[in-house]
Amino acid sequence: MAPKPAVKTLPRRGSLIDGVKGNLQALIVGLKYFLDPKRFTLVYPKEYSKLPKGYRGFIILNKQKCISCAACARICPSAAMKMIRIPVKDPKTGKTRMKQYPVINYQRCIFCGYCVDVCPTEALYHVPYHDVVYENLSEMFWDLETFQKEPEYKTAKEGSPVKFLIHEEYGLIKVPAEEGG
Amino acid sequence: MSGDIRFYGAFKDELGLKTIPSRRIAKDTYEIFIGPQHPGSGHMRIIIKVDGDVIVEAEPDIGYVHRTMEKLGEIRGWIKPIPLFERMAIHDACNITLPYVRAVEKLMGVEAPERAKYLRVLLCEINRIAAHLYGFAIFGIFLGHSTMYMWAMGDREVWIELAQELTGARLTHSYPVPGGVRRDIHDEYPDMVRRAIRYMRKRLEDYRKLFLDNPVIKSRLEGVGVISKKQVVELGIVGPNARGSGVAYDVRLADPYEVYDQLDFEIPVFEEGDALARTYVRVEEIKQSMNILEQVVDWLEKHKGEPIIHESVSSKYGPVHKKVLQEQRRAKLLPLHATMKVPAGRAIGRGETARGEVIYYVESDGGLNPYRVRIVTPSARNAIAFKYALPGHKVMDLPAIYGSLDYFPPESDR
Repeated sequence: MAPKPAVKTLPRRGSLIDGVKGNLQALIVGLKYFLDPKRFTLVYPKEYSKLPKGYRGFIILNKQKCISCAACARICPSAAMKMIRIPVKDPKTGKTRMKQYPVINYQRCIFCGYCVDVCPTEALYHVPYHDVVYENLSEMFWDLETFQKEPEYKTAKEGSPVKFLIHEEYGLIKVPAEEGG
Repeated sequence: MSGDIRFYGAFKDELGLKTIPSRRIAKDTYEIFIGPQHPGSGHMRIIIKVDGDVIVEAEPDIGYVHRTMEKLGEIRGWIKPIPLFERMAIHDACNITLPYVRAVEKLMGVEAPERAKYLRVLLCEINRIAAHLYGFAIFGIFLGHSTMYMWAMGDREVWIELAQELTGARLTHSYPVPGGVRRDIHDEYPDMVRRAIRYMRKRLEDYRKLFLDNPVIKSRLEGVGVISKKQVVELGIVGPNARGSGVAYDVRLADPYEVYDQLDFEIPVFEEGDALARTYVRVEEIKQSMNILEQVVDWLEKHKGEPIIHESVSSKYGPVHKKVLQEQRRAKLLPLHATMKVPAGRAIGRGETARGEVIYYVESDGGLNPYRVRIVTPSARNAIAFKYALPGHKVMDLPAIYGSLDYFPPESDR
């Protein structure tokens, strides 16, 4: 049970008959796929692929769970996530004190998901979509309010969801998926 | 060889590698700049000199997509360079980052658990197949065979889908981390892999009929761009290009990492050294990778629930971390990963990517950042092959040779 080298020989170009045979073979394969093209098209705005649950899409903050540890901002490889300080009223004492919360710049984010993985309280989570369009770049700087709500997934409103399955015969096939983002 | 008269392959005499018969040529050769934009695999220029239609001299001109990977790797801590180094060979992400992770693991003195090793091999082989199919697609379009381009790109999608199911991202997986991997497979995953393998085996048969056994393709590749065994050894060419010339060198064979020494597979070697041989190496490698995948998913099915991250990390897990690991099969990172310190020392990580051997030299001074990360990528070592494979051929053969070498500029320029 170990890798071993295996010296193999190339099939060489043979006689004229082989050439004719090769050409015919290629044409027959072409004809086969002409008659039965095993392909599909994702008609994008009308259909969209519903991505699985673990997909690393947009990152959203659940502020209630956040403990202001700043691990997400420190691990961010592209410095997309930054901590801001905002005054928070303490419900017990009634005093206001400064507390840190993360905000994100989606111009820089590379969706590596390190921040989600490093968050000790699961305050950050991925939504399984990424095709959200912004009219201008400044909208991609998310403040604390925007960071807490999931971005509107307009594709889901206009199109019907499909998902891709791996099929023995067809490679990928598309099947309708349940509704919802 | 002095004065105005040049010889075919005159520069070869410096190394004593004479493969093309020398012939006197006129001094009025044309210089043609091919690239940096061309329908190939990225930005790279080849400056060729032609005598009539025959290439006399070729000079690969690299550096158009240089992104200072090595220097950037020195300022981002230990875990952040992983998404960065993926950008070298984006469709081969796990293969290209794994040696770095292994070098860091060596410095830290940790070893990934068995299941994590198998999961790494799983993604590595998925990446290898996807990268070879990508190479095929580019090769097809180079030769004007657009059907092959469409087919290979389409079938690559199957493997990308598998990688996405495993890691959550199509290409930039950032999957291995020092000490283990980030995610585990779900229960239906082995069947998905098996279905994809059965599909790909059928498709490879169609590929053979349409592309490899096609007399037109064969006559364009056979005997074209021959690199002799001696040349391969002297120039330090690696990967499928070396194995196509009869050099049985593969890191998985020479220095097995992860669990490659426990798996049963072949390293295909062809003696001919021409473009057709290099193409066949890739086809055979796809087949072998599928054999590996079958063994790996069998093992993973038998050993469910084993740890996927090293004890030094999992022992510090709190209740939330444990819950996530059990329910979502995600191994969370710890806040200490962000400001990780690695003991001082030097380590070398080697790995076999789809294009050949990648070497990381990682040096630590015990601080927050690597002191030095030196990367030698396979394409950087294969770039010199253009200089020796092209002369003597017609300009028409250039796409065939370029495509067969499977050169990937972003990987080479780093």
